[in-house]
Amino acid sequence: MDIDTIPKLLYENYCKHPDKVAQREKRFGIWNEFTWRDYFEHVKYFSLGLLALGLRRGDKISIIGENKPEWFRAEVAAQAIGGVVVGIYTDAGPQEAMYLITHSDSRVVVAHDQEQVDKILQIKEQVPLVEKTIYWDPRGLWNYTEPKLMSYDEVLALGRKYEAEHPGIFEEELQKGKGNDLAVISYTSGTTGLPKGAMVSHRQLIELAKLGRDLDDWTEKDEYVSFVPPAWITEQCIGITGCILSRMKASFAESPEMIQENIREIGASVLFYGPRNWESVVRAVKAKMTDAHPFKRFLYNLFLPVGYKIGDIRLSNKQPNTLWRFVYFVAYWALLRQLRDKLGLLKVRTAYTAGSAISPDILRFFHAMGVSLKNMYGASEIGTVSTHTYDDIRPETAGFPLEGIAVKISDESEILVKSTTLFDGYYKDEEETRKKLRDGWYHTGDFGHIDKSGHVIVMDRMDDLRSLASGQKFSPQYTEIRLRFSPYIKEAIVVGGEEREYVTAIINIELANVGRWAERKRISYTTFSDLSQKEQVLELIAEEVMRVNRTLPEWARVKKFASLNKELDADEAEMTRTRKLRRTFVEEKYSDLIQALYSDVSELPMESEVVYRDGRRAKIKTGIRINTVETG
Amino acid sequence: MSAGDIKLKVESVSLAFGGVQALADVSFEVRDAEILAIIGPNGAGKTCLLNCISGFYKPQKGEIYYENRKITGLAPYKIASSGIARTFQNIQLYSGMTTVDNLMAARHIQIKPFLLSSAIYFGPAHRREIQHRRAVEDIIDFLELESIRKKVVGMLPYGQRKKVDLGRALALESEMLLLDEPMAGMNYEEKEDMARYILDIFDLRKIPIVLVEHDMSVVMDISDRIAVLDFGRKIAEGTPEEIKVNPAVISAYLGDSAF
Repeated sequence: MDIDTIPKLLYENYCKHPDKVAQREKRFGIWNEFTWRDYFEHVKYFSLGLLALGLRRGDKISIIGENKPEWFRAEVAAQAIGGVVVGIYTDAGPQEAMYLITHSDSRVVVAHDQEQVDKILQIKEQVPLVEKTIYWDPRGLWNYTEPKLMSYDEVLALGRKYEAEHPGIFEEELQKGKGNDLAVISYTSGTTGLPKGAMVSHRQLIELAKLGRDLDDWTEKDEYVSFVPPAWITEQCIGITGCILSRMKASFAESPEMIQENIREIGASVLFYGPRNWESVVRAVKAKMTDAHPFKRFLYNLFLPVGYKIGDIRLSNKQPNTLWRFVYFVAYWALLRQLRDKLGLLKVRTAYTAGSAISPDILRFFHAMGVSLKNMYGASEIGTVSTHTYDDIRPETAGFPLEGIAVKISDESEILVKSTTLFDGYYKDEEETRKKLRDGWYHTGDFGHIDKSGHVIVMDRMDDLRSLASGQKFSPQYTEIRLRFSPYIKEAIVVGGEEREYVTAIINIELANVGRWAERKRISYTTFSDLSQKEQVLELIAEEVMRVNRTLPEWARVKKFASLNKELDADEAEMTRTRKLRRTFVEEKYSDLIQALYSDVSELPMESEVVYRDGRRAKIKTGIRINTVETG
Repeated sequence: MSAGDIKLKVESVSLAFGGVQALADVSFEVRDAEILAIIGPNGAGKTCLLNCISGFYKPQKGEIYYENRKITGLAPYKIASSGIARTFQNIQLYSGMTTVDNLMAARHIQIKPFLLSSAIYFGPAHRREIQHRRAVEDIIDFLELESIRKKVVGMLPYGQRKKVDLGRALALESEMLLLDEPMAGMNYEEKEDMARYILDIFDLRKIPIVLVEHDMSVVMDISDRIAVLDFGRKIAEGTPEEIKVNPAVISAYLGDSAF
């Protein structure tokens, strides 16, 4: 038979390696192992359970939950009987979840726990198509009497019963699946407008996983820790398809907060974090070091530059000389090894980042420790486009296009991609499909170019490029990322435009680090809002802005900035769930502030509304200071 | 709430320290499956009452019955092993030990060691250890203590220690829980979490919970019945709705001038 679907791949693993470990999950303080037999049997009975519940070929199911074996099983189970999976981010609000469930016509929702079940029950009137909500963590749900609710174990039991009544039906259903069947509808995070559902087939996912496996030699000896949300195409390629394809072991942390410790216990060799996660690791190290014992700080300040030096030499594709190698040896054992170990990165062989652009400075930090973190560039619509090879990692680029993927640059400097891994179009959105897919080329909407050696360089989103009154173009994102590398700056929005003479920025301070800094300087403060407007804090931020300004061409330098008196938040739709800025929205919301940045006022009285998690609203009143930075 | 069987009965208990009358003729009952809250202003005698039930104080007058058995004046450890577990207002944990060890220590009531098998360790003693660790891990999972499992309790923030204290009471596998101000000193979010845990424990274990609490709003939301103390006297008892409109309670909390 042709092994052309994900469930068939799993079946093959089950036949050939039933007793090898496939997954691990930490539960009750110990790592529980699941073999390919366990994995397969769970998938089999769950899918028969779904069949018994009336799910048919082509039907959609939505899954909302943290990374757990049950998530993966539910997906492959649905696919085994021809179902199509829609992943929903755990922090999606009821309205977002409702949009995805309704738009995808999901008939079944698989939800993690009480929190997610409550979300679904809250919108059950608006999603009449949903016949069952299945949960796998029963905690707190003991007394729910909702008839549409069912536990994971009940579905398994239903599946076992169904098999007794219809022997052999699972294998039959499995064979009916074809590579071109839809596997997943991956909703794009939607920095612009409503999310769009990219339809992705089994063939595409398997091809993408093969590309990854062949490039980085994923094998059954590798340890992968599943952390990025499975709702994201990347985890679909690596965690679900990639692990089944290469038999790389996937481990699941106890809870998202425990990830660092759990990665360390597992000794992960392949790791995928979003850029924000890598950033927060660096930020945590820097914050910890300011509190560390003076001797430790001394070692850190002495040897980290050595790491940087060697990292830079290697990044520029050269070999360090003997003296440097010796110094690095000392630095490695005195500091870098411990640092890697503490971060759980000691055994990491391949580390990826993707999603939005990552600061080259972050990349350098990990290379200084000897962790070869590399950039990956892709999108829900095409999967992975390009990534670095081991011997050619460059912080500022997104690497080479993968084999079989053609990349070209349009006249407007937009990146266009053509490959067999291209998506089948947007679900129920012909018009958008036609817009994005022209003559077989997918229009990424990313602004960039290909350098002499063939590396793809992604600068920014096409829509986000700005030009100033003088006509000179600049990339706000580029500056923002560099601002964010400061431990004191959490978010930054860089503003400018054709009607404007210069560039300005709205900055969100990082409460934890600025707070600690203020404590050390004996500056008292009450709330975030108070701290953000302190004279000394503004001076601190001004210095950080100037540092970034020095790396920018003169016209693109930030001339004025304001420190925002509240944190930008996904709950208020200022950011997407993957924590990308929703620029247009934010600029509209703070148009007064931006106006003030382009006038002569030194302070703007402000009233801003905050929405709490539970939906309550409140108003905050303060003044926001406008600060001028020397750009000369 | 249905009446249910009576689990604990406090009969006209009085307690005085010298001239201070801490409790005066207090009577109430705890039914089989209910959350009973005892509220009252500072110094009303709430904690004294709990201390009487759990055996730390011996009331000068009155009797306390647990499952129709008189427990007045029994030593605290005997009361604990009869199935009443409690938490403390000023957390009483082994602050030099880790979370896991604190919870394991609470299991000692369940452990009936034999000198010989314990000395050998492997075999029965080992199996027992695993069985108890399993129960402790259940509690860790339940209260979401994973991230502090191996941390020394003394180093933990207050809210977390409160959770460990609750975990320790759960580890006793008791048939009744006495919680002394479980939400004192917590912020709004921590309080909400704690309220959820208490409701979850109640749902899962179906055991009566007696809750002494200062924060009226939380109490109103989660308890089935409320008893109100003021200056050592019970001034009201009833459902949250009844208590909310009870004039004696309002005057005790807000002062007479509120009228």
